[in-house]
Amino acid sequence: MKSVKLGTGLAFWGDSIRPAIDMIERADIQYMCCDHLAELTMSILNKQKSRNPDLGYTTDIIPFLRGVLVKARERGIKIISNSGGSNPESCTRQVVKLCEELGLYGTKVACVTGDDIMDRIDELLEQGIALENTDTGQPLAEIRDKVTHANVYIGCEGIVEALERGADIVICGRVTDAALYLGPMRHELGWAKDDWDLLGAGTGIAHCIECGGQATGGLFSGGWQDQPNLPSLGYPVTTVFENGEAILSKTPQTGGSVTPGTVSEQLVYEVMDPANYLTADSTADVSQIKLEQVAADQVKISNITGKEAPATLKVNMGYRAGFVGEAQFTYTWPDAVKKAKAGLKFLEERLRQVDFKASDTRVEYIGRNSMWGPELVPDPTEGEEDLKEIVVRFAARCPTKEDARKVFTESVPLYNNGPAGASGIGTRPPIKELYGIWPCLIPRELITQKVEITEVVRKDEEQPA
Amino acid sequence: MTRVWDLAHGRSGDKGDVCNMGVIARTPEAWEVLRKHVTAERVKAHFGDMIKGSVERFELPNIRALNFVCRGALDGGGTLSLRSDHLGKVMYTWLLHMEIDDE
Repeated sequence: MKSVKLGTGLAFWGDSIRPAIDMIERADIQYMCCDHLAELTMSILNKQKSRNPDLGYTTDIIPFLRGVLVKARERGIKIISNSGGSNPESCTRQVVKLCEELGLYGTKVACVTGDDIMDRIDELLEQGIALENTDTGQPLAEIRDKVTHANVYIGCEGIVEALERGADIVICGRVTDAALYLGPMRHELGWAKDDWDLLGAGTGIAHCIECGGQATGGLFSGGWQDQPNLPSLGYPVTTVFENGEAILSKTPQTGGSVTPGTVSEQLVYEVMDPANYLTADSTADVSQIKLEQVAADQVKISNITGKEAPATLKVNMGYRAGFVGEAQFTYTWPDAVKKAKAGLKFLEERLRQVDFKASDTRVEYIGRNSMWGPELVPDPTEGEEDLKEIVVRFAARCPTKEDARKVFTESVPLYNNGPAGASGIGTRPPIKELYGIWPCLIPRELITQKVEITEVVRKDEEQPA
Repeated sequence: MTRVWDLAHGRSGDKGDVCNMGVIARTPEAWEVLRKHVTAERVKAHFGDMIKGSVERFELPNIRALNFVCRGALDGGGTLSLRSDHLGKVMYTWLLHMEIDDE
C-alpha cells in the first residue's frame, strides 16, 4: 500500500527548532511541515508589514531553515510552511537568499498566494458579499474602518500544485493548518480533490499532529509525571497510508511518548463538533476515530471519515479594538490582604484623578484566582491574617494608548506613597494593542490560489531579463 | 466524593470567544459515569459567570471522550480578553475539579 511519511517541524511561531533538528537527523521522513500562524498572528504580521513592506512573515522560518535545510536537501526532504503570513512574497525572497548563501543551487522555492482579500473588501461588499459576523450577525460596516487584515483560510490545492511542479520548499500565507499536511498526502497518495472520506481522514490525521509535542506527551494531563525526558521531547513522525489510516510515532531517541491517551488529548484540542470539523478541504468526521497502540510509541489512527467541503471559506479578519494597560504589585505579611486592597483602592483613585478611561477592568490575585478567575474562586479576605504574600494584577481595556499607559504610571507611586511594603511592581511593560477577530465567510469560488516557483541559481548564471 | 479528575483527564483551547474542553475517561466504567453525570447543563452551571453563552456536548465514543463547546467563554476571545488565562489553556482543570454524584 502506498504511504507518505510526514514530520512535524514547528507547531507555532517561536517554537523551538530543536525537535526539528533531531528529526531531520534521525527520523525517516519525506516532508517536514511547519505551522506558524495562530488567530492573532495575522494582525501582528500585518502591522509589521504596514511599517516595513519587506516584513509581515514569521521570521523564525530563517533560523529554522538555517538549522535543517542543508540536511533536508541532502536527504530529499521537502519543507512546507505557512510562515509567509501576510507577506509570502517577501518570505520567499528571504528563503531564496538563504539558499544562495548556503549554496543550495537548484532548490525550487514555491510561493503560494491568494488568501489575502484585504484589498478586495469593498469590491466584495459591492458584489453583495456581506462578510457579516457569523457569531453575532453584525454587518461589517460596524468595524470596516478598523480592519487590519483579511485572509481566507485556504485549502491545500496550491501546495499540491507546487509539489507537482517539483517544489522543494513551499511557502504559504494563511492556508489552514491541516492543508500543510493534506497537500503532501494528496500529492503522494493520489487522493482526488472530492474523495471526501480520504480528505476527511487526512484532515483528522493532520489535526492530531499539527501542534507538535502536544500529541507526543507535551502538556499531557493524563500522566505528565510519567513522560520521560520532556526537555528533549520528540515531535510527531507520521506514516499516512492511501486508505486513510496512519501510524503516529515520534523521532527516535527523544523524550515524551505516543499513546492513545496523548493523541486523544490533542484530538479534542480546539475542536468544535467532532462530526463536522470544517476546513477548506473537507468536512472531517473524527467522532468515531479509533486509536490503537500497535508498538511502543506507535499509535494507529483509523475510522475517520469525511463529507463534502463547505461551500464557503472562513475568513480570518482582524480589527483594532483598543489597548490594554496592566499593573502588578505585591504585599507581604503583616496584613497582606488589607494592604493589597488598600493599594488597589489607591490605584483606582489615582486613575480617577488623571481622567482615566476604560471600557472594562479586571482584578486578579495571582497565586489565588488569576487562572480560574474571581468568577469561580473568591478573592482573598481580610480575615486571612497569616497570608505571607499576595500579588495583585490589575488590567484594563482602554480606548487609547495614553489611557492604557496610565495604568502602570499610576501604579508606580505605590512604591513610596501607598500602604507599607509594596514590591514587585517591575519595569514599564510594553502597551499591548488589542485586536478583535471578525469571523465571516466567503464563497469558495471567489478565491483562486496562485503558485510561483523560483529556482535558486548562482548569481553569475542568471540571465539578464 | 468523586471529581471528574478521578475519572478523566483533559485539555482545553480557544477559537475566538469559544473555549472547548475535552475530557477523556480513564476506563470504560469511568466513561459510563461521565456520560451520565457530566452533562452540558451541569458544566454550564459549574462555570457560572465565566461562560456567558451556551454549552454544547459532543461524544467521541471510541476514545471515550466528551467535548464541551462553550460560547462566550473567553471574555471576548483570546485577542481581547483581560484574563491571565486569555486562551483558556487551563479552563479544563476547573471542569476536572467538578464534583459528581456517583451513586
